[in-house]
Amino acid sequence: MARLTVREVVVEFKADAYLRTTLKATFLDLFWPRRASPRTVRALRDVSLDIVAGERIGLIGPNGAGKTTLLKVMAGIYPPQAGEVHVEGRVCPLFEFATGFEMDATGWDNIRTRALLLGMTARQIEEQIEEIGRFAELGEFLDVPVRCYSSGMLLRLTFATSTAVEPEILLLDEVMASGDASFIQRARARMDQMMERAHIVVFATHALDLLPKICERTIWLDHGRIVLDGHTADVVSAYLDDVERRRD
Amino acid sequence: MSSVREVVAALDLWRIWWRLGIQDLRLRFRRSVLGVGWLLVQLVVMILAVGVIYGSLLGQDLRTFLPFLTVGLVVWSFLTASIVEGGLALVASEGYIKQIGLSIHVYILRFFVSVSISGAINLVAYAIVAAVYRVPVGWGILWVIPGLVLLSLIGLLFMVIFAHLNARFRDTTHLAAVGMQVLFYITPVLWPAEMLRGRRLGWIVDVNPFYHLLEAIRQPLLSSRPATLENYLVGLALAASLGVVASGVVAFYSRRIVYLL
Repeated sequence: MARLTVREVVVEFKADAYLRTTLKATFLDLFWPRRASPRTVRALRDVSLDIVAGERIGLIGPNGAGKTTLLKVMAGIYPPQAGEVHVEGRVCPLFEFATGFEMDATGWDNIRTRALLLGMTARQIEEQIEEIGRFAELGEFLDVPVRCYSSGMLLRLTFATSTAVEPEILLLDEVMASGDASFIQRARARMDQMMERAHIVVFATHALDLLPKICERTIWLDHGRIVLDGHTADVVSAYLDDVERRRD
Repeated sequence: MSSVREVVAALDLWRIWWRLGIQDLRLRFRRSVLGVGWLLVQLVVMILAVGVIYGSLLGQDLRTFLPFLTVGLVVWSFLTASIVEGGLALVASEGYIKQIGLSIHVYILRFFVSVSISGAINLVAYAIVAAVYRVPVGWGILWVIPGLVLLSLIGLLFMVIFAHLNARFRDTTHLAAVGMQVLFYITPVLWPAEMLRGRRLGWIVDVNPFYHLLEAIRQPLLSSRPATLENYLVGLALAASLGVVASGVVAFYSRRIVYLL
């Protein structure tokens, strides 16, 4: 059975590593230190969660609350500096769709590569590639290197590929930014199907009105901490109250 | 412990890195008429230019000098590529690393595939040169196999080390490339080691592990006999020390890499 446990996870980003990205800079800093002292940004502080099969979980909170980081910890992309993550079941991450392409390769090649990276076998890929191409609705553009694609077309390509994988644990991060209206509609429908098939779904969103329809449990994050974890209706109204209060 | 598991997990995903590596090679040459043949052209031009000039400067017989030079250049270009391209392995795979939680070693192996295949194609170029100049071949040529295994291992370790270091310090690869350039001139690639030995400077060659590594491949190919025991031992020692460095780097950096990209 799919299960996702996060225990007292801490994730930090060291500003230091981004300020001094060369040996030269590090060496010079030894002699001529800059004023900016290295800082650490805590993206997640002691986050604990237990998610069992059958659950649909919404993640809400302001920008920079740690939603994406938490999803990436669950996906095994960010190894936490402290705490543990246990994942049982195949994870299918659907994150920012703007990166992770071979720009000189064709649409078809990128579909194959991504599907392989997401854990599909060569045979599964060949069986499904037609269908993936059809869903992406990119027609003959699929024979062209993706260098020539618009961001909406890249979104179609990745979305079609990523959602062809049979997910056990589906992690979604507000992904619909650049797609035209008709694609967003079809994507929503497909996402609903996928959410039905997946054993666990965790998704970060700002669309609070949709949330109660999709999931029973919602987690509200702020400054890397879980503020509230409970029934969607309760959490959303508490969150909205808080937003109101801050405005006053 | 967990880094060992990461490496094993990556090896297990060979279908992925094999495909990515092949794709990288195909893409690099897709827009050119000759395709992978460019690798050969590049090598042949280099051999002819360097071979003819150095050959006559050093008073060498071209029939033996050109095959000698070719092996050296093939080995050296593999080593340089494993540092320069290896340095890109993680940086260039950022898009995948940040979106799909696979072990990062998958992307190092991906680059190892393309660098190794380029190296193998260059070896074909050597075979042609050897055929043209009728380098005698005996069963002893099989001794090249341990040499190539050693070379590949060393190349892979270089890639692991520089892939990680370059993700942290983006100028590591440039520095290393300069270092390799210097090494290139003090290692007997363009000139036979015997020339220095004649001037009692043989120690410069003997303390250079890359010389021994070169010998482990040159001797079997050029004269169908094994290199000296010393050559193999120094080669192994080089691999072992790189192995220690690589495990240190992996243990220290592997889990932080995603935060550095």
